[in-house]
Amino acid sequence: MFKRILIANRGEIALRVIRTAREMGIECVAVYSEVDARALHTRMAHVAVRLGGKLPSESYLDIDKILRAARETGAEAIHPGYGFLSENAEFARRVEEEGLAWIGPPADAISAMGDKIVARQKMTAAGVPCVPGLVDPVDDVAIAIESAESIGYPIAIKAAAGGGGKGIRIVRDPGDMESAFRTASGEALASFGDGRVYLERYLDSSRHIEVQLMFDAHGNGVHFFERECSIQRRHQKLVEEAPSVVLDDAARAEMGRVAVQAGEAVGYRGAGTVEFLWSGGEFFFLEMNTRLQVEHPVTEMITGVDLVREQLRVAAGEPLGYGQDALSINGHSIEVRVNAENPFNGFLPATGTLENLRMPGGPWVRLDAAMYRGLEVALEYDPMLAKLIVWGATRDEAIARMIRAIEEMNVGGVHTGLPAALQVLMHDRFRSGDFDTQFLESLEIRSPEKFEGLVAVAAAIHRHLGARRRALSPSDAARGGWLARSRAETSDHVQRAGVHNAAAGSANGEMTR
Amino acid sequence: MKTFVEIGDRTREVEITERLGRLVVHLDGEPCDVEYAEVDGYGQAVLLHEGQSYAMSIAGGPHEIAITLAGYRYDCVLEDERERAANLAAKASNRGGGVVKAVMPGVVVEVLVEPGQAVEEGQPLLILEAMKMQNEIAAPGTGVVKALHAEAGTAVASGDKLITLVAPES
Repeated sequence: MFKRILIANRGEIALRVIRTAREMGIECVAVYSEVDARALHTRMAHVAVRLGGKLPSESYLDIDKILRAARETGAEAIHPGYGFLSENAEFARRVEEEGLAWIGPPADAISAMGDKIVARQKMTAAGVPCVPGLVDPVDDVAIAIESAESIGYPIAIKAAAGGGGKGIRIVRDPGDMESAFRTASGEALASFGDGRVYLERYLDSSRHIEVQLMFDAHGNGVHFFERECSIQRRHQKLVEEAPSVVLDDAARAEMGRVAVQAGEAVGYRGAGTVEFLWSGGEFFFLEMNTRLQVEHPVTEMITGVDLVREQLRVAAGEPLGYGQDALSINGHSIEVRVNAENPFNGFLPATGTLENLRMPGGPWVRLDAAMYRGLEVALEYDPMLAKLIVWGATRDEAIARMIRAIEEMNVGGVHTGLPAALQVLMHDRFRSGDFDTQFLESLEIRSPEKFEGLVAVAAAIHRHLGARRRALSPSDAARGGWLARSRAETSDHVQRAGVHNAAAGSANGEMTR
Repeated sequence: MKTFVEIGDRTREVEITERLGRLVVHLDGEPCDVEYAEVDGYGQAVLLHEGQSYAMSIAGGPHEIAITLAGYRYDCVLEDERERAANLAAKASNRGGGVVKAVMPGVVVEVLVEPGQAVEEGQPLLILEAMKMQNEIAAPGTGVVKALHAEAGTAVASGDKLITLVAPES
């Protein structure tokens, strides 16, 4: 096993890897950007290397800087986390050329699955069912409109080089095709430097279900069952759970078998996830994420397997040492992503400083977070602040536990998606399991009216006490205003109480405005 | 002192008087028996009301206060009587038009309207790219474009002016 590894990431995922590595007696090297000097991953690692720079391109995306950090600190392997360079085939190649172990899949598997067109061709050849659509990408609007007719509406337009839900447009009306195509293609060009897009049928009332895979370097592969990720908005997930309520044992086994087949088709190694769209009892290959996923903890909770430990073991050349028969599902797990976003205003990204925090706890509650009081939430990085994960013997128990944990949690100073998650968890459709990928968008997120009165009282008292504090601080000019107001109120009060003696009367005359 | 607390589309009236060091609170004219205690000086607070405990987190002030309670978040806009009168007067003098502001930091990709152009409610005015997503910014009401404050390529911060609209002449 490795003695020292470098983690080419930040935030909760860097911390997640550090935690398992420490438990295994492996030393961790963290890298950090200018703004992350005080970040938790920087503090929790054994060694921290400053990359400098504010932008991701100057730090967590700078291959040369990261490889130099690995050389200088004597790290034997690199864990990329998710995002940043995790699905960058060139980085994987460069790491191995340096003589370091890459804690991820082979570079060829990354590039095959990273290009949606190549992935689709490979999957079709391997007998993995795909959604009806074009095999080749298009960059010409006339061809796009013509092909859309043959595929059938509604159509999803996806960037050929995209990922993570970015650059995807849904077109329901042929009349909207032209403008949607231009926007999507322009967006793809701006984000990825590649304006080609891919058209496919958009499946209505579909569910997003994905299968966790793990392959060793000796040809053994298993799946760790599925995760249900249909509670999403603009293809950004909010609530994830495992297992899915719609799969029975036969469907689960079949989906797992097909996912393993997909991994085998690209010579996979390490942890990966095959995403499927489930619609009316059928499932179709969507894409494969060639890295650890954000929502991997729900799988860990129901299988009892530490996926990061398995990643490290496999990357060090160890065989898995178990087969599919050894794995089973125990209970139910739910994850809620705590993103800095405003659910009352279209989930727009939110910024601010985390002024106060109250963390949830108690039995079977897990919080994977890298936030701390004083953290400035900026737009440079992913808006995810934390992942709240619970386990329950049953789905109902897990839902009740998650609601309890969210109610315990306070993130002060920045909007989060938690009120939306709460509304989902309390909704009859979620509880009954009858939902699809459109469900979250159909909700109008509101905080309940029943607390508004007390909230108004608390806000007014908070303001009152703040004003009093300022008044009593000797340097503050606000003192004058406070004193004048309180004198006026005292006299109002005296009047209302019915005291009309001469002294009070003259006091009124002098002291009111 | 009366404070008007606006939460969403409703406004509550809270009157706080201090008597013998205790806060006496009226909510919408009715006496409201509360005990309020700050926990840590960083915004954790607890409110006791009718035998029930409400643990909150409070941030901001004095005009905009955000409160988290039982997992929910409430954005409160506060005015005292004097501020309320001043704000109402300001609103009345600005009826019909308005300034469209950036709701998040980003880069203007394309401006879709020109000065002098009449626009309808919901019509896209410009495309703002933020977090690698392109967002259409729509006209909040029917009006005429009076001024453009940004052009394609302009980086804007949250709250920056984008476009000024005026009421259509009728």
